[in-house]
Amino acid sequence: MSKILHYRSKCIGCGFCIEQQPAYWCMSKKDGKATLINSVGKNGLFILSIPVIQVQQSKNIAAACPVRIIKVQ
Amino acid sequence: MPLQLINTNVEILAPVGSYESLQAAINAGANSIYFGVEQLNMRTRSSRSFEISDIKKVVSICKVNGLKAYLTLNTVMYEHDMQLLKSILKEAKNEGIHAVIAADFSVIEYCSQLGIPLHISTQANVSNIESVKFFSRYADVVVLARELTLQQIDSISKEIKRQQIKGPAGALIKIELFVHGALCMAISGKCYLSLHTQNASANRGACVQNCRRQYIVKDIEHEQELLIDNEYIMSPKDLCTIDILDQLIASGVDVLKIEGRSKGAEYVQIVTTCYREALASIRNGTYSADKIINWKLAMSKVYNRGFWEGYFLGRRLGEWTNNSGSAALEKKVYVGKGSKYYSKIGIGEFEIESGSIKMGDMLMITGPACGMVKERMSKLRVNGIETNVAVKGDKISFPFATKVTANNKLYKIVNSNNE
Repeated sequence: MSKILHYRSKCIGCGFCIEQQPAYWCMSKKDGKATLINSVGKNGLFILSIPVIQVQQSKNIAAACPVRIIKVQ
Repeated sequence: MPLQLINTNVEILAPVGSYESLQAAINAGANSIYFGVEQLNMRTRSSRSFEISDIKKVVSICKVNGLKAYLTLNTVMYEHDMQLLKSILKEAKNEGIHAVIAADFSVIEYCSQLGIPLHISTQANVSNIESVKFFSRYADVVVLARELTLQQIDSISKEIKRQQIKGPAGALIKIELFVHGALCMAISGKCYLSLHTQNASANRGACVQNCRRQYIVKDIEHEQELLIDNEYIMSPKDLCTIDILDQLIASGVDVLKIEGRSKGAEYVQIVTTCYREALASIRNGTYSADKIINWKLAMSKVYNRGFWEGYFLGRRLGEWTNNSGSAALEKKVYVGKGSKYYSKIGIGEFEIESGSIKMGDMLMITGPACGMVKERMSKLRVNGIETNVAVKGDKISFPFATKVTANNKLYKIVNSNNE
């Protein structure tokens, strides 16, 4: 199964991922950074397993992230 | 310039993007520093070493060393930034920050509510006395737009005095000006190139510096390429005002601001030192062409894209660089990092991780405790034994004044054309 990897600490809170994939992302009101919903986090890296049908959209978002902190594996 | 016309309280404000740069600014004799935390400042992409928890330490180091500490919070702010903004301001207030530098009205409003002294960022593009008057309800210092001429600055400065425009602290509004460092190709940083090409907003501190690349200009209809002398058609040279500093001060500038929060400690230390010396020379009447040549030479050895005097003398178009990156005459080559410090005998030990060094090499050491130190290798000991050359894997030791830790980086200084 594919995964989204989010290196959250470098997020600048542009909100692009949230606009494009609202089911997976939300904005933290606490620190103004994007949060990968239901992900498992360790040492600033947050990981979420995704179905194949979501891979292309997730890759598009990863490519559009202005600080390149989203990866899809 | 007659000495009686010189404002002797002019402040030198240095950029700080790391603890190394902070110590470098202290070493150089800056009067104040500015820094950003988290993602709400204009160097979010290029300099992200400080978090909210660092405010306490930075302010504390500044107070111990007699410097003022200013916090930049000058990006465009969105609704979802408000909580983080409040958390940052609360911490800044608790730690006694000397001022916050802002452009967005949310920051201005919160600072006003919390009683935090405010400086208006150059991002606000203040270019006339009415704007200064407007912001004087909230701020004690206004950073003027970088695109003004000396006459315009002089006129604003005189009007502040004539109209007695005072800030919340009760003193006349101070004028701050960028005097050295990188310039944006767009007016007051309001650029959309980075957002357009990489979805990365420069106005959120994420500029990818499209303007620093080479471009061709082509007529699509006839497929003809225009012949241009310089392919870096949008990349401005760096601002350098050390040779017109007397005129800038005569125009009423109170704070000389140096750009470069994402640059190294050596840049901060050398540039700040040069401007401090130039200011001292203006004060004591020894400011001269010979000194200016030497300062410019010293500053041309650290990161720069070539120098010009900006828009202050009335030039309407920028002067463009012809380099992809720095045009510095010298460059630093990473050699290794600190490993141990023998405090009783004052000896530092460094581990060579890349390349080699030999007797006579010029070394540069950066670190949170030393800032930037340059010295020529005159005595080289590898693993305790005197030698002439040290290579990767060797541990070298030599006398060093401040504590050495793994945060200390060791570089070799080489001429840029000696690849």
